[in-house]
Amino acid sequence: MRIPCPHCGARDAQEFTYLGDANPKRPDGMEATEAAMFDYVYQRDNPAGRFRELWYHGAGCHAWLVVTRDTKTHAIEAAEPAKPTKAGAAA
Amino acid sequence: MSDAATKSDAAMKPGWTPRSAWAGILSEGSFGAKGPAGVTATAREGLGIASLIVAEGGDAALAKAMKARFGLALPSTPQAAISAGRALVWAGPGQWLFIAGDRGGFADDLQALSGLAAIADQSDGRAVLTLSGDKIRAALAKGCMIDLHPSAFSVGSSALTSIAHIGVHLWRAEDGPNGAVFEFMVARSMAGSFWSWFSASAAEFGCQVTIPRACRVGRG
Repeated sequence: MRIPCPHCGARDAQEFTYLGDANPKRPDGMEATEAAMFDYVYQRDNPAGRFRELWYHGAGCHAWLVVTRDTKTHAIEAAEPAKPTKAGAAA
Repeated sequence: MSDAATKSDAAMKPGWTPRSAWAGILSEGSFGAKGPAGVTATAREGLGIASLIVAEGGDAALAKAMKARFGLALPSTPQAAISAGRALVWAGPGQWLFIAGDRGGFADDLQALSGLAAIADQSDGRAVLTLSGDKIRAALAKGCMIDLHPSAFSVGSSALTSIAHIGVHLWRAEDGPNGAVFEFMVARSMAGSFWSWFSASAAEFGCQVTIPRACRVGRG
């Protein structure tokens, strides 16, 4: 599988490290209930199909990416920086 | 009082001498197939190397300073800006390597950039080889996943990648007498492992190794 890194271009998956689901957002630890923290830490969907997931390009640009991939076909729809680029920031 | 304590401080100091990152790894001469060398490898030593990382939004100020002092355009894509004696190589979003051909005045260069980026001197932490020759792309293709064909990797292109599980930073310099010229940089501690892969890959084409005379201090 090759991942189209938005910074480096298409690279083999061996240059990347997989983290998993890009959707969970960390609740405010001081306010959140134990159940909400449990969901955030442990509960994951395992969809067959379109999935947004985090990959780290450790052998390349050292950037975290959000890759939208079909888990059945490995077809990659999009790969974008996980960190939104602010105006004036380096590309 | 013991004998050791009576010796002068100078006599007690260990004899530190600079040691090349390629010391004990490269041997000058040729190896592999006989005949004209298809591949050439030249040790780069005495380079001043520093990593630059800007805070978000800080690249404009760094770009201005780089242009004014060194005439180098700060690349925002995987490119290397190269001038006489200096290079500025993209190393990821908001990150660059600043390289000087020698270390004379390098501290002043870094001082001039102070405050514009997080600067860390990497001069002794990296090992660099200049690779060229008619067969260089065939030799590199055995482990390098980057397409180095001129149509895909022009002069001034750079890439960060992995070769034989070793992190490599590479860029293409101006063409030389043997065609395309590539600079390959690895962490100093990986120099031996990188050479193990490269020498095995280059042997079938015949490889000429050059170690610049000025850089032979401290060779093991």
